[in-house]
Amino acid sequence: MAKTLIRRMKDLPSTHLFGSGTPMCAGCGGLESLHQIYEILGPRTVFVNAAGCMTLLAIYPFTPFRGSWLYTAMASAPAGAQGIRDALDILLAQQRIGADEDLNVVVLTGDGSANGMGLSATSAAMERGLDFLYICYDNEGYGNTGQQFSAATPHGARTATSTGPHGFGGNKKDLFSIWAAHKPAYVATAIGAEPVDLARKVETAKQLKGPRLIITLAPCPPGWDFDPRDAADIGKLAVKTGIWPLKEYIDGKVVHSKIPHPRLPVEEYLKTQGRFNHLFQPQRDEALLAEIQDSVDRYWDGIAV
Amino acid sequence: MYRIRFHGRGGQGMKTASRVLGTAFFQEAFQVQDAPRYGAERRGAPIFAYVRASRTAINERGVINHPDLVAIADDSLISAPAAGVLQGIGPRTVMLINSHESPETWQHRLNLDNTILIVPAEDAVTDRADLPFAGMVCAGAAARLVGVIGREALATAIREELHTHGSGLVDRNIETALHTYDLMQDHANAVTEGTEISAKSYASPQWIELPLENAGSAAPSIHAAATSTLLKTGLWRTMRPVIDYDHCSHCWWVCSTFCPDSAIRVNEEGVPEIDYDHCKGCLICVAKCPPHAIEAIPENAAKAREEKAHATKTPDR
Amino acid sequence: MQPKLLTGNAAAAWGARLARVDYVPAFPITPQTEIIETLGRWIEGGQMPGRMVTLESEHSMITAAGAAAATGVRVFTATSSQGLLYGMEMIYTVAGWRAPFVLINVSRGLASPITLEPDHNDVLAARDSGFLQIHCATCQEVLDSVIMAYRIAEDPRVRLPIIVNLDGFYLSFTREPVEIPEPKSVADFLPAYDPESTRFRASSPNSQAVAVLGGAPYSYFRYESHLASLNALDVHAEVAGAFAQQFGRHYEAVEAYRCEDAEIVFLMIGSFATKAKAAVDRLRDAGEPVGLVRPRLLRPLPAKELAQILAGKQAVAVIDQNISVGMGGMLHAELASALYGKANAPPILTSFIGGLGGRDISPEEFYEIAAITRKAAQSGVIPPARLLYTQEEYREVQKLQAIAHAERHEMGAE
Repeated sequence: MAKTLIRRMKDLPSTHLFGSGTPMCAGCGGLESLHQIYEILGPRTVFVNAAGCMTLLAIYPFTPFRGSWLYTAMASAPAGAQGIRDALDILLAQQRIGADEDLNVVVLTGDGSANGMGLSATSAAMERGLDFLYICYDNEGYGNTGQQFSAATPHGARTATSTGPHGFGGNKKDLFSIWAAHKPAYVATAIGAEPVDLARKVETAKQLKGPRLIITLAPCPPGWDFDPRDAADIGKLAVKTGIWPLKEYIDGKVVHSKIPHPRLPVEEYLKTQGRFNHLFQPQRDEALLAEIQDSVDRYWDGIAV
Repeated sequence: MYRIRFHGRGGQGMKTASRVLGTAFFQEAFQVQDAPRYGAERRGAPIFAYVRASRTAINERGVINHPDLVAIADDSLISAPAAGVLQGIGPRTVMLINSHESPETWQHRLNLDNTILIVPAEDAVTDRADLPFAGMVCAGAAARLVGVIGREALATAIREELHTHGSGLVDRNIETALHTYDLMQDHANAVTEGTEISAKSYASPQWIELPLENAGSAAPSIHAAATSTLLKTGLWRTMRPVIDYDHCSHCWWVCSTFCPDSAIRVNEEGVPEIDYDHCKGCLICVAKCPPHAIEAIPENAAKAREEKAHATKTPDR
Repeated sequence: MQPKLLTGNAAAAWGARLARVDYVPAFPITPQTEIIETLGRWIEGGQMPGRMVTLESEHSMITAAGAAAATGVRVFTATSSQGLLYGMEMIYTVAGWRAPFVLINVSRGLASPITLEPDHNDVLAARDSGFLQIHCATCQEVLDSVIMAYRIAEDPRVRLPIIVNLDGFYLSFTREPVEIPEPKSVADFLPAYDPESTRFRASSPNSQAVAVLGGAPYSYFRYESHLASLNALDVHAEVAGAFAQQFGRHYEAVEAYRCEDAEIVFLMIGSFATKAKAAVDRLRDAGEPVGLVRPRLLRPLPAKELAQILAGKQAVAVIDQNISVGMGGMLHAELASALYGKANAPPILTSFIGGLGGRDISPEEFYEIAAITRKAAQSGVIPPARLLYTQEEYREVQKLQAIAHAERHEMGAE
């Protein structure tokens, strides 16, 4: 098992490597986690990006990265990572570059690419045992196009394409389990609102070889409809209500890194966001609230504490 | 043809302002074109929208390069070249500014002889939900300045454009727009229809033969680190977080870690410093600071405070 | 050196081996598969260094190819038909990265209906992408073109990826005598790839393929690719000269066969052009002054060379093994645009669509095309575009239709 150095808040880095000045929204939960991740990964990285909000991190001639970046397309960022990793390995093997020139290859996509169009490429990269880290910022919808529902949208959420009285009728895809079923080196869920947990997971992933994947829940002020200042508080509530379990798949086992106790009612989380307004106004949708609470309860009932 | 550009920030209702004015013109039997212009940036970033109106069919398209009226919902954008507020302004372009300052101050500051009209800005907006009214203030004033839109057409346009919102919000918008409409009474017809570019005498477009350049620089690649810091996203801010150092507990990490924009660093003494060039004003730091040592104050108030502090300091020099 | 009998696919694989490619991202598709099987066998058997990875799709394969090229290694990949179309988003995308590599396309008709046999609609769908295109007529040309393609694509004045095209079946599975150059001579001709600043290294940050906002930077980057592509005309001439010196085989951007005194000229690309060549010889035997023009380089389009070669001819018969649905033959349109307004341009261009989905073109058909075109030159009246299709073929299809309909009837559908 990997050893991590970050155990408490004081261990977190306080100087920032990730460049400011990006066009991400004020209060972006995805950026909140990415800048924390970047502190630990550092500039010896090449980020391979798929179409999504974060495609706009680098707009010519401005980039927030101190290392490297390649934009590919929505469906094939893991294949881009494959090409770069293989090319670097070839260059290393032929001694055309020294180990000091090597880079960590990191895929960065949103939930739209990760759960949908890019899932085939991700599955194949895992099956090939590609040595890479995949960061998915999950804002639970196609955020860059105005928050239409994606395969990661939670049940009941209102999106630009689920505007009915009960919001999104489908259920959030269990990407963690889909990834874990491939038996990669590492899978974790995390969130920028729990920086120590996130940092520890990135540190762990960084020390492992093979496919490593982290999903960070990314509270999205315009997409979820809340005031940007609440982004971190909403993130914390996602964890405290048990809606966003923080966990790791490592050495073939799933372990929860933080078990909310006591678990707050889900509505403490839901009521903070305009996308769930219809659950409370004009009158409470008790059936849907109970359904959401029940699915969270059933999840945690299945977890041996 | 009337050519009108609205400048503001994402979230200030610029698209709605352009649609309200467009619909009001349409009510008055004009041919109309209105459109917002989106970039990569998000809420708080400078954006613009535009309206064309003519008695005959409109064949022109795209961004307005020679505006008859530029309506500015947020005066902090004027000095930012990236916002493009002053782009294509000619001697007869009227400027309408939502501002606390006088027309003379702006004329002096911009070194322009243009007609500059002021709609007095609301006292600092502290609630983000109130931001869109900045657009409505401009739409109402613009409707009067062109002199061809009646009060009723304006109110109808607002009802039409905001019909999906509650009646309370519609009424408040109508009230806001009609208020500035009436304020501009003395300036009705200040904005006149612009002329077309003559095909007889015009400035050559100055085409060049694009040179073939080295593939390394002719590919969309950036061979430099963290160039994004050159972009001053602090411009997006409407509220400014200010640290009260007397109450800061030097926790080391909270504000700096949660800040999505890497805009708070902690120096060697454990003191956090906010980089206002890049702070977008999300105020997560205000929400998360354990001893509540970070206060949010409206950006103009903060600027005024800054200027005052500067003024009192200068004599000591 | 003694020539060997090689298929077009084997010749393509030999080209990659001799070019000392580092990396082969792959995905199987008929009729290309033999290329990657051959390379895979050589790499596993240690006869060839390099690394092959099988991706899960052509979209990923082309992404990996572009990404590896952008990291600074020499990349080879191959596909066909539906595969090329499945990867088409990335064909356009990676071309803009200005990271050179070679992609073999083994031409095969496109769905629908799905088929295995060749025509050129697949590769011509990539016509406007930014990839350069070389079209081969023989297995020898396939091998030689792969080697030349690296030198052209990697030239600092070009830096664009390149497609080398060969026809499915007619070349891919067909053996011909092919001279395999000595590795040492190839190494002399084709030096190691220097990626210059187009690479990923820890010591120097590089954000590649970033977004742009606004028409000015977008137009700049797109047009720079166009200028670089046009530059490949001169670079091809230089490289072809050096290749001829080293290996004794000369390739022009446009092959002109018995054109000097020709009055009527056939224009074709790919392996069927050798059929046209045979027809030219027979027509000459019959006293007809006919020639053949075969653009080898299709992107960049050697428009000047075409205009020069065809100046003063009475008529050109363009035989397109493709169809732009709703327009007609693509090469016909391309040639018309290359000749329009040029001094002494042939006044008559006739258009023939043939060879779709592997449909053969017979010698008699070439003779008839020449006769029709000569008649058009004499009368000044251009006949409508013609599909090469016989009464017998139509009868065959009617028989198939009868079965198709009878089955429906028996199943109770009608």
